[in-house]
Amino acid sequence: MSVPTLYPEDERLTRGERVVFNLYIITALVVFVLMMLFGLVMRMAQGTWLSLPPTLFYQIMTAHGAGTVGTMGLASSAVMWFFLRKYVRLNLWAFLTNYVLFTLGALAILAAVFIGGYAGAWTFLYPLPVHSMGEWTVHAAVLFMLGYIAIGVGFLLFYLDAMAGVIRVYGNLGRALGLQWLFGGEIDPVHPKTVVASTMVIITNSIGTLAGAVVLVMSIINAYFPELALNALLAKNLIYLFGHTFINATIYMGVIAVYELLPRYSGRPYGISRPFLWAWAASTVMVLSVYPHHLLMDYVMPHWMLVMGQIVSYASGLPVFVVTAYGALTNVYRCGIRWRMPAKLMMLSMYGWAAGIVPAIIDATIRINEVMHNTQWVPGHFHFYLLLGVLPMILALMFHVIAGRAQSLADATTDKLSFPIYAVGGLAFAVALLAAGHVSAPRRYAVHLPQWVPYDQASSIAAILVIAAMLLFTGRIIAGLLRAPAHVDPAHPAG
Amino acid sequence: MIIRAQSCSSGSATLLFLVLLMPPVKQALEASLTAQVLVQIPLLIAVGWLLRAAVPERILARTENWNYRGIAGLVLATLTAAYWMLPRVLDAATTVPLLAVAKYLSAPLLIGLPFALSWPRMGFIVRGVLLAELIATCFRLGWLYLASPVRLCNNYLLNDQQRLGECMLAIGSGLLFWLAWKLLWGRFDSLKSAA
Repeated sequence: MSVPTLYPEDERLTRGERVVFNLYIITALVVFVLMMLFGLVMRMAQGTWLSLPPTLFYQIMTAHGAGTVGTMGLASSAVMWFFLRKYVRLNLWAFLTNYVLFTLGALAILAAVFIGGYAGAWTFLYPLPVHSMGEWTVHAAVLFMLGYIAIGVGFLLFYLDAMAGVIRVYGNLGRALGLQWLFGGEIDPVHPKTVVASTMVIITNSIGTLAGAVVLVMSIINAYFPELALNALLAKNLIYLFGHTFINATIYMGVIAVYELLPRYSGRPYGISRPFLWAWAASTVMVLSVYPHHLLMDYVMPHWMLVMGQIVSYASGLPVFVVTAYGALTNVYRCGIRWRMPAKLMMLSMYGWAAGIVPAIIDATIRINEVMHNTQWVPGHFHFYLLLGVLPMILALMFHVIAGRAQSLADATTDKLSFPIYAVGGLAFAVALLAAGHVSAPRRYAVHLPQWVPYDQASSIAAILVIAAMLLFTGRIIAGLLRAPAHVDPAHPAG
Repeated sequence: MIIRAQSCSSGSATLLFLVLLMPPVKQALEASLTAQVLVQIPLLIAVGWLLRAAVPERILARTENWNYRGIAGLVLATLTAAYWMLPRVLDAATTVPLLAVAKYLSAPLLIGLPFALSWPRMGFIVRGVLLAELIATCFRLGWLYLASPVRLCNNYLLNDQQRLGECMLAIGSGLLFWLAWKLLWGRFDSLKSAA
């Protein structure tokens, strides 16, 4: 297997593709910064450093949750698109439509929250959207849900286009996943890992989106016809099948950047193997069956589903993570890699993924969940996972792309500063949330008891570090993206 | 050969339509909400689907101009189908002659026929959206019929509408499993040849 080149010809973007890709990345970066500022405002308010009316706190909390989850999805789908288009034909209109519908959906959500006053959290758990205690109208709740539907339709179109492209080349999704090689046969050594990962995401997120499409429309009907009461437990199951799968899929789209870029920076091929295929096949099933770990406190859930939620949680993240982390570590071991920004971010993402799933696995244990789930332990987990796992994967691609457009492949001076600030700030922020959870500080409370305030203040300082680094990243990346592509020798050796 | 198949198909459509018009058949299929929704209306749609073979080529060619990728026909068919999902319309169609006529004409001509004309022209994505929405609609309607605390139709009892709800959930699940199986292990020759 040959050593991969840093900037292969088949990754070159046409003018139209570059415009749409830039739209995705610039929008994602700007929204990420905005969402981080929302997060900082909330932590400072809890830490008594800022006066914020509780109603506004819950609005900001709702926008922060919905905006971050949606934007993670948007940015990671750009990673998937960027690499998948090398192997299968993707229609630019589908990618663009996803962006347009996402933007419309995001505007609807922002209007519902900041004009309509909707503050029922990103999970829109029935019947909260229609029990506003006079804080928002039913129309605001419906507008919020319509925003989700617009975003869901956009993603469904993107996935259907990707599905068509994959089937056109590989025959069906099973063959694209490599199921034919699970029990034997010679694995095609050039079968792209990107196709395997993308196929898994296409399957799981399409089913998740379908669940969302059902429960969102039912919730809207209920909003206008309250006599049609919904089964709250069924609604919650569908919401978490949709929500959990959507946010979980972001790391499976983001990790494509690691599969594609790491071997280029290490200068060492990163082959496909049977354990790799098994891991992705197993995760396809487990990502869809793990969501009951969000409902472990719902004693009316069927007992077998709760047990399944715990067991699958232990197993769910591990297969793909183990093959990826092990593969990444062996790939870079003594390879003489030059630690440029993309390489640094990719290794940070491996750490963030590895460490970030540990609190989740702990929380998925039923006995622990009973006391930890409604504390800040859970935001500690997903901020760890998203800030240090998913986002660095996405940033790795962005830095890789802008280095290709620059005259020099070397890191800028600001990168030497921003990377450690981001890593330390992100880690401190997540640990402060986990520590607050450990002392039973509740999640989703606008006002905290005095003994919880030090944790809020510590995480506010950490958040300021993260935002400072993110602003540097954003400035660098946007400036790099807007620069005309420079000629980079495609044969430039990695490392 | 083609002409014989066309006349056979249009003959089947006529025969099926006449059978559905027969008072004992009509009465039997409208005796329960479940039969009306899951048997009578789908069979009327099938009449329209079979009628496609009877449409002359020059008319088919003319429709191509306004039925790009089958989207216009699909919109017509789905909007009409949405109308016939309303319980009060289903109820009225059993007692109001004008609505009965509308059902017998619109299901074949505004759902079945445009759908048959459009399906071959639809690309993978349009078909995917249609199937996804069909599955979601089965789940939503099934849930609604089960969740409704009151009778939605004067002519049908609560247990009938709940049976319909259960059947729609079962149909939605069946369609979902079939689609998943097809995507994972099925053959897609038309897509492969288009590559």
